[in-house]
Amino acid sequence: MFTTGSKLLIGSAAAAWIFAAIYGIANDGALGTLGLISAAVALTFLAGLNLFVRDSTVSAMDHDAFEDSASAQATARPSLWPLLVGLGATTITLGLVTNRTFFTLGLIALIAGALEWMVHGWSERASGERAYNSAARNVMIDPLELPVAGAIGAAVVVYAFSRVMLGLPTATVTVIAFGVVAVLVVAVAALVSVKRDLSRSTLTGGLSIVVIALIAGGAVAGLIGERDIPEHVTTADLAEQNECSADETEADHDASQTVAAKSNVAAEVTYEDGELHADVPGFDGDFEALTLARSNPSNVMFRNESKGEARLVIDLHPATDDDGLPLGPERLCTALVEEGGTQLLTILIDRPSFDVEQGFALTVPGSAAKLQVVVP
Amino acid sequence: MSTSLPAPDSNRIRLRMAAICVGATVVLASCASDAPQDTWKPEGKYAQDIQDLQWWIFGIAGIVGVIVFAVIAFVLAKFKDRGQPIPEQSHGNAFIEYVFTAIPALLLLVIAVPTWAAVFALNDTDNADCVVNVTGQQWWWEYDYPVDADGNICGFAPTGRAAPIITSGQMVIPVDAKVVIRGTSRDVIHSFWVPKLNGKRDMVPGRVHTWNFHANQAGIFAGQCGEFCGLSHANMRMEIVALDDADFQSWLDNQLEPYQSPRQGTRAATGEQTFVSQCSRCHQIDGLTDADGDLVVSSPEQFVWSGAAPNLTNLMTRNTFAGASWDLVTEDRRQRVWEASPDEFGALYLEGVTSETLNEIDLKEWLRDAPAKKPMYTDPENLEATDGKTRGMPFLGLSEDQINDLVAYLIERK
Repeated sequence: MFTTGSKLLIGSAAAAWIFAAIYGIANDGALGTLGLISAAVALTFLAGLNLFVRDSTVSAMDHDAFEDSASAQATARPSLWPLLVGLGATTITLGLVTNRTFFTLGLIALIAGALEWMVHGWSERASGERAYNSAARNVMIDPLELPVAGAIGAAVVVYAFSRVMLGLPTATVTVIAFGVVAVLVVAVAALVSVKRDLSRSTLTGGLSIVVIALIAGGAVAGLIGERDIPEHVTTADLAEQNECSADETEADHDASQTVAAKSNVAAEVTYEDGELHADVPGFDGDFEALTLARSNPSNVMFRNESKGEARLVIDLHPATDDDGLPLGPERLCTALVEEGGTQLLTILIDRPSFDVEQGFALTVPGSAAKLQVVVP
Repeated sequence: MSTSLPAPDSNRIRLRMAAICVGATVVLASCASDAPQDTWKPEGKYAQDIQDLQWWIFGIAGIVGVIVFAVIAFVLAKFKDRGQPIPEQSHGNAFIEYVFTAIPALLLLVIAVPTWAAVFALNDTDNADCVVNVTGQQWWWEYDYPVDADGNICGFAPTGRAAPIITSGQMVIPVDAKVVIRGTSRDVIHSFWVPKLNGKRDMVPGRVHTWNFHANQAGIFAGQCGEFCGLSHANMRMEIVALDDADFQSWLDNQLEPYQSPRQGTRAATGEQTFVSQCSRCHQIDGLTDADGDLVVSSPEQFVWSGAAPNLTNLMTRNTFAGASWDLVTEDRRQRVWEASPDEFGALYLEGVTSETLNEIDLKEWLRDAPAKKPMYTDPENLEATDGKTRGMPFLGLSEDQINDLVAYLIERK
């Protein structure tokens, strides 16, 4: 009387209603009850629909269609996907007792293998012809497989290239990457375009050699390690050493004069004619005081519209420990900004203004410019 | 497999069950009435703008949907496999394809123009009457009202001293005012959502997002965080309270009143000491002093991963606590406030919480064991990921006497 699919859906709907009732009564109608009821309603609808169309299977009266249907055909094709699923499950188990990397790799293998296996199984029941089923499988899964395979391949090549570039000295990298390799690529491309009868296997072989060489080079360079990259002095170092003055320092050399993140800052502070003004989103007009939330990193955009270079500084007056040592940085500052330039200053103040006698203020060293900062 | 036709009786039973299932779906999927967060009952200009846009789009979509489902149902019924020959197959009809492309394109154009206009209108934050800074943090909302260049707070001049006001849980705004919030977050992405007053706006750490609110009349409007933000996302709620101008002025002036210490020798005075020793590590009450007369300044940045805890100055002027998850007032009082007419609402709300209307049960449960009431990351054995700092209020191990003292002290905070 009831088809197989209908039995599953009716059973699932009934179970969902029962669970919803039990959960709702036991938890006094807690939020999860609504989710279970929604699931039950959806399953009930699907059960009704499936009852009406009787699982959409081939009619038992249509003998030819019945014998030609996929269900009546022979056994499944061989497949490696079950092996991948098993491997994934085992690696997950191993990862649970060793480390997260194995767990993650196993999970990826399990999900990928299960998806491929499901599609493989579905395609085998699509029709009675194996060639058609194979094409159907490709149509279904190629939009996912090809981009993922391409992305993985590209990631491997890029990563190997980066290890090679990081392993070599800077000057050598410049010569190799932007000189020799570029010339070789152009030369090979020109040869391929001229020699039109170049066989596919030759081309494939040549490209494979290049990729393998790159991956091997990347592996070797990765094992050797990166070259020494000298550390640059930053404005954080300036602040630590109490050097946020109007004088130029090493951190200001080649400092960027523009900021990529231009929107949704806490305020835009402009230095012009010896004064600081704040443009605060949401407020109309300029401000002479800025309100920042306590213990919240707030981005302030500093724009220098004066003649000459300037930097924005804020003294943080951090609390001190029992030995009188500050519990946080004492000041923050931007790099020196040229006329028309901008810099971003991220300010985190963890004390309210009323706890600091002199309060907080943004200043520009070498000028009397001052903008009060209020922390409620 | 059996090749005989199903018996007529079982066919009828099957069809009847199918009809029951589909019919039950329609009945059981009906909406609740009078829900506090019903987006289809706007109470402000911006929510009304959204409603004015969406109802006719919903109508169009509904008509299209009914037509599509009706055609599907017709095809399912008429061409159901009863053993008849497969119909003649074709490669399609160009004219029909052109029509079925043009109609949806036209519909989308008709929908797009007013939608575009509405989106820009909703995001216009110029000429605000009131600006409030909103900061989301796991799992509560902080509101601070800055002093503007004219010395006003939220467009109103304080009667006394002007200073920023900081509060949490309930955001109080004037009625019929364009309120612009400047929202951000201290930790993860949250979303500020009060459905009867406007849509959602994400609160993103490191960014300030503006959003508008407007309330037509006095009342209280419920909302909740609309972006999954962790363990107690479902318990991160907010309420917007709209007051008439006179009531808002009273509220504002009250918030700026100087701190009043409890009378010596009372339970509240003992509670004040308990607060200083137990609670002031994280919670700030402005003006509170210690035994030496020094201002007590909280240092939540040392104990809380996100760096702040709710400011409890004038706690009892609010109706909720713990991220607006629980009421500070009894159920009767809550019902009275929520169901009050706009004319009565202001006076009721400004009464605040009294000894008679205090919801002692929930407040004491919270003080007794906050993590048991609201899931938070406060287990001292599992704080390695946050450098030993908690996300939320930890279990304090207070005695019942301490809890009673604290309640006696807090009830006076208004």
